[in-house]
Amino acid sequence: MNQPNRVSGGLIDTARTLAFTFDGRRFQGYAGDTLASALLANGQRLVGRSFKYHRPRGIFSAGSEEPSALVELGCGAGREPNTRATTAELFDGLEAASQNYRGSLKYDLMAVSDLLAPFLPAGFYYKTFMWPAGFWEKYYEPFIRRAAGLGRLSGAADPDSYDKGFLHCDVLVIGGGPAGLAAARAAGRAGVRVILADEDFLMGGRLNAETYRVDDMAGSAWADVTCAELSAMDNVRLMRRTTVYGAFDHGIYGALERMTDHMASSDGKPRQVLWRIHAKQAILCAGATERSIAFGNNDRPGVMLAGAVRAYANRWGVAPGRRVAVFTNNDEGFRTANDLAAKGVEIAAIIDSRERADVAGPSGVEVVRGGRVVSTKGRAGIRGVVLSDGRQISADCLAVAGGCNPNVQLTCHQRGRPEWCDEIAAFVPGKLPAGMTVAGAAAGTLTLARVLAEGSRAADAAVREVGISPSPAAVAPRAEDEAAGRSAFLLVRESRGRVWLDLQNDVTVKDVKLALQEGFRSVEHVKRYTTLGMATDQGKTANVLALAVMSEEAGKTIAETGTTIFRPPYTPVAIGAFAGRSRGKAFHPTRLTPSHAWAEEQNAVFGEAGDWLRARWFARPDETHWRESVDREVRQTRASAGVCDVTTLGKIDVQGRDAVDFLNRVYANGFVTLPVGKVRYGLMLREDGFVFDDGTVARLGENHFVVTTTTANAVAVLRHLEFCRQCLWPGMDVHLVSATEQWAQYSVAGPNARALLRKIVDPAFDISNQAFAYMACGEITVCGGTRARLFRISFSGELAYEIAVPTRYGDALIRALMAAGEEFDVVAYGTEALGVMRIEKGHPAGSELNGQTSARGLGMGRMVSKKKDCIGNVLSERVEMNREDGLVLVGFSPVERERTLVSGAHFLAQGRPATTEADEGWMSAVAFSPTLGHGIGLGFIKGGHKRIGEVVRAVDPLRATEIDVEIVSPHFLDPEGERLRG
Amino acid sequence: MDEFRLAATTPDDGAARDFDGVAIRIRANRGVVSVAAPRGGEAALADALRSAFALAVPEMGGSTVSADGKARLLGLQRDQFFLLIDDQGSEAFALVVEGLGETAYLTDQSDSWTMLAMSGAKCRTALERVCPIDLHPSTFPERSVTRTVMEHFGVIILREGPEHYQLMSATSSARSFLHVIETSIRNIL
Repeated sequence: MNQPNRVSGGLIDTARTLAFTFDGRRFQGYAGDTLASALLANGQRLVGRSFKYHRPRGIFSAGSEEPSALVELGCGAGREPNTRATTAELFDGLEAASQNYRGSLKYDLMAVSDLLAPFLPAGFYYKTFMWPAGFWEKYYEPFIRRAAGLGRLSGAADPDSYDKGFLHCDVLVIGGGPAGLAAARAAGRAGVRVILADEDFLMGGRLNAETYRVDDMAGSAWADVTCAELSAMDNVRLMRRTTVYGAFDHGIYGALERMTDHMASSDGKPRQVLWRIHAKQAILCAGATERSIAFGNNDRPGVMLAGAVRAYANRWGVAPGRRVAVFTNNDEGFRTANDLAAKGVEIAAIIDSRERADVAGPSGVEVVRGGRVVSTKGRAGIRGVVLSDGRQISADCLAVAGGCNPNVQLTCHQRGRPEWCDEIAAFVPGKLPAGMTVAGAAAGTLTLARVLAEGSRAADAAVREVGISPSPAAVAPRAEDEAAGRSAFLLVRESRGRVWLDLQNDVTVKDVKLALQEGFRSVEHVKRYTTLGMATDQGKTANVLALAVMSEEAGKTIAETGTTIFRPPYTPVAIGAFAGRSRGKAFHPTRLTPSHAWAEEQNAVFGEAGDWLRARWFARPDETHWRESVDREVRQTRASAGVCDVTTLGKIDVQGRDAVDFLNRVYANGFVTLPVGKVRYGLMLREDGFVFDDGTVARLGENHFVVTTTTANAVAVLRHLEFCRQCLWPGMDVHLVSATEQWAQYSVAGPNARALLRKIVDPAFDISNQAFAYMACGEITVCGGTRARLFRISFSGELAYEIAVPTRYGDALIRALMAAGEEFDVVAYGTEALGVMRIEKGHPAGSELNGQTSARGLGMGRMVSKKKDCIGNVLSERVEMNREDGLVLVGFSPVERERTLVSGAHFLAQGRPATTEADEGWMSAVAFSPTLGHGIGLGFIKGGHKRIGEVVRAVDPLRATEIDVEIVSPHFLDPEGERLRG
Repeated sequence: MDEFRLAATTPDDGAARDFDGVAIRIRANRGVVSVAAPRGGEAALADALRSAFALAVPEMGGSTVSADGKARLLGLQRDQFFLLIDDQGSEAFALVVEGLGETAYLTDQSDSWTMLAMSGAKCRTALERVCPIDLHPSTFPERSVTRTVMEHFGVIILREGPEHYQLMSATSSARSFLHVIETSIRNIL
C-alpha cells in the first residue's frame, strides 16, 4: 500500500506527489515532506547502519540534530554522504541510499562487529593492534577505517558550484520559530534592517510541529501570516534554508544558504551560498533540542524523540508507528500521546518515570507511574519494550521525552561556557558574544506564551541598541503556556543490554564508565577518549545524557562536572561552500601584460609569476625543445637586439618635498646626490638588516621619483613604504601611488638597441651615448607624439633601455618595436632568456633575494651607506652577518663542462660527508649559457671570493646528483661593464 | 616614428553586457589622475580645484561632481584624491597638470584602472556576492566611494546614482574581474 503510515492533516501538499528512490526502491511522498517523513510514511524504519558496530538504525529526530538517519543523497560525482534524512527536503526524482554496510542494509555482513563489541570498547585501538609495530599503518588502520565510518565520497571532483557573499543588518534573528518570528516582527515593525534566518524550508519551528494556538489561530497559520507580513517589509530579509553556523568576531555570523539542494537540478546556479552576515545586534532564537533517556537497546529503529514523533504526526501527517509507546520524564510525553491519539494512532502505554503528574493522557491509555524502560525488543525495528518489572509491552515505536536542551551552540563560539540550570535540568547560555542576546527555548524558556513575549522583548532591546525606538505596534503575540512539569531523570540504572548515549559515534554508558575507570576525569578528556559528541552532530542529543552518567559515576552534580563547549559549524558545512568560487582558474586573478595578445600570436609559452602570466619563451615552429628557443633568444639579443616585456616589475610614483629624504631612509644607499634625469640602483633592507628588495630609482624631477621593485615584491614594497610614510614618519611631505599598471614597459637590449630605438623615439629627443648615457632617464615622446619614459638601464648586461608608454599603447608599442627592429633581426625574449642573461651577468634576482641574504653576502656590503641612517642599517652590522667566512654570492662552473648544474644543490668540500654540519652553501640559480657554451650557476658559499679557483662538490641528495664545480666570479660576462656603457 | 603610430587598446574595450535587471559597461575613456595635497598646501589645492574644475574637496569616503557632471573628485584617503575626467582618456593628465599646476602632486592613473559601470535594479543583489561593503543607501548613499577587495581584487567602488555603480579594478586583471562580476550577476538571476 502506498504510504501506509499517512494520517490526516499536516502541512504537506497531498495534491503534489513526489517520486523518490531509497536503496533503489521506488517510493512516493508529498511536497512539504522531508526524506525522513516520506520514508516513515512508507513504513521504512531501518535506514542505515551505525558507525562502529553496524547496528541497525532508524530515524531518531525530525531536525538537524539527527544522529542516526544519515544517508547518501544523489549519485555519481555529486553524491553526498552523511546527509541527514530529517533535513533533506523531498523533491521529485530524489535518489537516496543507506550507508555503512556490506551486503545489504538488512543483512549487513559487518554486523559481526556488534558481536565483537566486548572486545571493541572505547579506545580499543590504543591498546590492541600494537604488535608488530609496522602493521599499524599498513594493515590495522586501513582495516579499521574500512570497517568503521559512514558514507562514501564519490572521489570525483564536486560538480556543483558554490558562492559566497556579504550581508549587513541591524538585527539578525537566528531561528524562525515562535521566539524568532516574534522578534523579527517586532524589529521589522520598528523599521530597522532585519535578517531572519532559519535552517528549515518552512519558517515556524515548533509552531509547525505542535498544536499550539497563537493570536486565536493555529500556530502554523500564525507563522504563515507573520512571514507574509515580514516578506512585505522592505527592511526585512527572510532567509529560509539558511543555517547560521558560526558566531565570529565583531558581530560577524557565518550562514549557509542551501539554494538548490531541494531541486533536482541546480541549472548551473550555485548549490549553496556561504554568507558572512555583519549584524549590529543578533538575537539567538535557536530553540531547544529534545534529549532521550538512556536505557538498554535504546538505539533500535523505532525509538524516537517524542517531539519528533509529534512533528511527524502534526506537520507531516505521518504516524511513525501503528502502536506507539511513550517513555517520558515530563509532561511532553502526555502531549505526544494526546496528539497521536487525536490522529487515530494507538497508544500502547505512557511510561512516566515520575510517580505523579498533573496532566492526563488519552482516555483509556495505561499510564505506568514511576515506570522504567529497561530494554527494547526487535532487531531491524522495535517490536516492544521491556519495563523494569519485567513486563513487556508490544509497540513498533517508542517516543522518548527526556526534556529539552537549549541550543546554546552559537553562544559558545567565542568561548562562552553554558551554565547548568536546575529548574529545567539543562545547560543555558553563559557569557554571550558581544551584541548577542538569546530568546525563547534557546535561553531556557520552554513554554509558548513566555517564548513569544521574550522574543518581542529581545527585539525591542536590540532595536534600542541600534538607536531606534521600538514600535508600539509590536505587542507580543497572544498564546497560552502549556503544561511543563518535568524531572531530571535521564538514566535507567536497571537497564539491560548496552545503553547508547551517542548514536552517531556509537558511544555507550559502558564506554563513559571505562574512561572514568581509566582515570579520565575532565569532561574534555572523556569526550576525546570515547569520541562522545565528536561526530558531525557534535553530540546534540548525546552530551547531557553522558554528563548525567559521568556525574553519577563520579558522585558529582552535572553543574560540577561541567560541559564541553561548541565550536563552529553548528551543522556540517561542505568544504566546497568555504571555497566558494575559488576553484581552478578562479582561485586567483590572472594578470595579463600589455603584450599578452601579441605574445600569444608569437606562440609564446607562458608561466605564472604571482598572478601575472609572463612569456617564458617564444617557440618557433622548427624548435622542438625549450632550450633551443631560449638559446636563440639570448644569442640574438647579445648579437643584435632583443625586446622583453618587463611591465610586471613594480613601479611606485614617489613625490613630495621630502621624497629624497624618504628614499634615503628606506634604501640602504643614498639618493641625495642623484641628479634629475638619472637612475640609480637601490637596495632595500628589512628592519633586521637582511635584504628585502632591490630595484631602480629614477629621478624625474626635483621632487619626483619613480621606484621600481621586483615583480614578486611590488605589493609588499608599496605596503612597506606606506607603513613608513604613515606610521614611522607621518610628518614628511611625501606621497606614494602605484604606477605598475599605468605603464607598459619593455626592455630593449643588445648592441643595436639604440639604433632600433632611434626609429621609435621622436627626433626631438637625443638618445646618443653622450646625451643619454648609461643610467640616464627622461620623459620623451615616441611614434609621433605618444608620451613615454626612457630609462637606460640594463639587466642583461648589454647596451639596454627600458621604454615605457601608457598601458593602452603597450600592445601597439611591442608591435612597433618588433617592426622597427626587423632590419636588426630583433628577437622577442621571454623570462627564461632574461634569467640566463642576468645569471651570465651575475645580477641577483628572486632566488638570491630570498629574505635570508645580506647586502654583504650579495657582494653589495659597501652600498649600505654609513653616512646616513636607513631601515636595517644598524642590524646589518651584527657580527654574525659580517663574518669573514660568511656566505657570499659567487659564480660556479662545472669542471666537466657538459654536465648540467642543479639549483638547490648544496656545496661540500671534497671528501666531506653530505651532512648539515659540512654544508658550505647552496646553488641559488643555474642556466646553460649559450654565450659560454656550458652550464653556469650563481650560489652562496662560505668565504666567497677568497675561494675563487677552488673546486667543491655541488650535491643534491633529493635528485641524487653530485657535480664538481669550480668557484668563479659571478660576472661571467663583461665584468667591466663595457657593453652596457657602449 | 611617424611610420609607427601607436593606437590605444584597453581590455575588453567598451564591452557591454545586458542581463535581466543589471547592465555592465566597460568605460574606456574616463581619465583618472591621482591628486595628492602637499603638506600645508591643502587650501591652495582646494582653491585650484574649485577654479579649474568647479570641484569642492570631498570628505574621505565621499565624492564631489562638477556642475557639468564631467569631473569627479573621489576622497580616497586623508591627503589623496582621484580626479576622474570623462571622455578625455590619457589626455586627462595634461588637463589636470594645466589646471592644478604646482598645487598638487599628480600621477596619471588613467591606464591603471579599468572602469566597469554597473547599473540596474539588481546591482546590489549581484554585488552582495562579492562586495564586503554595505551598499544600503543609508550607509553608502550616492556619491559614496571606498576602496575594498572583491574576490582578491583591489577595487574602488563609487556610487554614481541610485542603482548605478562604478567599479575600478586593475587593468592587467580586468578580464578576470569582468568574469567575477558576470559570475555574480549570473548567479543571482
